[in-house]
Amino acid sequence: MLDLRLPSGLFFAITGILLMIYGIADPSRAPMTSANVNLYVGALMTAFGLILLLLARRGRKA
Amino acid sequence: MKLTTIDYAILILYFSFVIGIGWRLRRSVTTAGDFLTAGHKVPLWITSLAFLAANLGAQEVVGMCASGAKYGIMTAHFYWIGAVPAMLFVGVFMMPFYYGSRARSVPEYLKLRFDEKTRGLNAIAFAIMTLFSSGISMYALGRMFQLILGWSFDASVLLSAVIVLVYTYLGGLRSAIYNEVLQFFLIVIGFSPLSILAVQRAGGWAGMQQKLPDVMTHTWKYLGHASENPMGVEAFGLFAGLGFVLSFGYWCTDFLVIQRAMAAENMSDARRTPLLAAFPKMIMPFIVIVPGIAALALSKAGSGYSLPMKSPGVYDYDQSLTTLMAQFYPSGMLGVGLTALMASFMSGMAGNVTAFNTVFTYDIYQGYIRPKATDAHYLTVGRITTVVGIALSIATAYLATHFNNIMDFLQLVFGFVNAPLFATFLLGMFWKRTTGHGAFTGLLLGTGAAAATYGLTLAEDKGGWIANLHSFPSTMAQNFWIAIFAWSTCFLVTIVVSLATNPRPDNELRGLVYGLTDKPHETGINWYQRPVPLALVVCAALIVLNLLFL
Repeated sequence: MLDLRLPSGLFFAITGILLMIYGIADPSRAPMTSANVNLYVGALMTAFGLILLLLARRGRKA
Repeated sequence: MKLTTIDYAILILYFSFVIGIGWRLRRSVTTAGDFLTAGHKVPLWITSLAFLAANLGAQEVVGMCASGAKYGIMTAHFYWIGAVPAMLFVGVFMMPFYYGSRARSVPEYLKLRFDEKTRGLNAIAFAIMTLFSSGISMYALGRMFQLILGWSFDASVLLSAVIVLVYTYLGGLRSAIYNEVLQFFLIVIGFSPLSILAVQRAGGWAGMQQKLPDVMTHTWKYLGHASENPMGVEAFGLFAGLGFVLSFGYWCTDFLVIQRAMAAENMSDARRTPLLAAFPKMIMPFIVIVPGIAALALSKAGSGYSLPMKSPGVYDYDQSLTTLMAQFYPSGMLGVGLTALMASFMSGMAGNVTAFNTVFTYDIYQGYIRPKATDAHYLTVGRITTVVGIALSIATAYLATHFNNIMDFLQLVFGFVNAPLFATFLLGMFWKRTTGHGAFTGLLLGTGAAAATYGLTLAEDKGGWIANLHSFPSTMAQNFWIAIFAWSTCFLVTIVVSLATNPRPDNELRGLVYGLTDKPHETGINWYQRPVPLALVVCAALIVLNLLFL
């Protein structure tokens, strides 16, 4: 049976990395905030995705 | 709002994962049970999140943000009073009968407990209701993407319908549930940054309290009288109408959510599903309602952001979420936010389609059309029903484009169906004397009472088609009171008719009624994993939250 943590982890890790790269490469910001939203959320997403992947790996070993 | 390549890339990436999950799960479907009930093999953390996410459609997200801007933090009552207590009740008290009776659907439980006609009434009403909900979801998606992105209505409706069709057709209920969980993660990650950024810009919670009238930042202070708050409700109407009838009617009897819990691996997991779902449910107001309140604070403070106007001086609250996204999200994050919106629209459809599937195949087709066919036959019927169900949803979506007012009316009719149902279940599960004739008559007259209340009262020019005996300050108050009357009528009529008709012998009701069923023993799990302690922890957290925003 498919472990859902695997595809979700993969999706958030890929999307997170995409966002981080875009946040670093593109200097434009949203109209009402000076924060680099893409970089921060991208980093969080990547971390979340990696945690899911790690859990899936541990689940498979057990 | 303008999307760029990166936004489209994220959207396409999401779609491919959704379809990929369906594709990978296709081999797990070999029987009708796999397809329609996920074979009772879904892990607890997944059923819990799906229990929550099945209800978290985009209309809910967009609507709650709009209500936040319109009514303030009082909107959180829809979660704290209007959902969590009912979720605890269904987990602790009702799930033993749903799961323990081996019923495959809520109407099937009605058949086991009462009789064929009660099941038929509920199955047909529910099937029609899910089709309309799914169609309305599609319609709302088409309209929203037309408005904010200029996409064609046809293209958005067809694209989302095809994607939902592919993954539900391939993997059935399991695929719908898995995707609901992915969608839940996406909603939380996609919208909580918006909440943080908007509140920060509005000067934090303290700054928002300063900029807004006091009533917008308190949940209980202004509930003494209907005229004191913008919702136009008082504490009794809120507790009885929303907190009791509407919320218990939805969370305890609507098969759309119950189906998620029934997919769990065992009784203990099925009971814990709604209890664990209550934790994230309590927190949701901070993600979906608070941005709306911040939007209003920003508009009042002249910060450069303003809610769009419907007509001079009247805010168009429905646009609060999307206009905030346009202001606070750069390309990239904007793609994530829009993908989350699209995802929640689609899971709203998929949830309804999978519930419709099961009820149609088991309760209507197997019940009345072909009772004794092979399992493979029902699997085929289930798959065909998926295609037909989605086609009918699309038809409903187009119907809605032509008859906007009719959709308003139909949504109200659905309220008529769900409100009395909880009285039927409460009596059926906890009073063994309740009879099938009683339940059926109660349901019919309860629905009639709802229609009559709507016909005799007026609120914001809605209702009053028979006469106007009473005017409510808001349609919300009207809805709450319709529910209260419908429930009370059903409750009383069911008792009276039950006492006048012959009861079923006790031995036929074992496993179906409280008092005739062995209490489920939770062995082999820690005390903090047992339903009752878990429910008490949820209660304590709920009280703390209410005190914080008194």
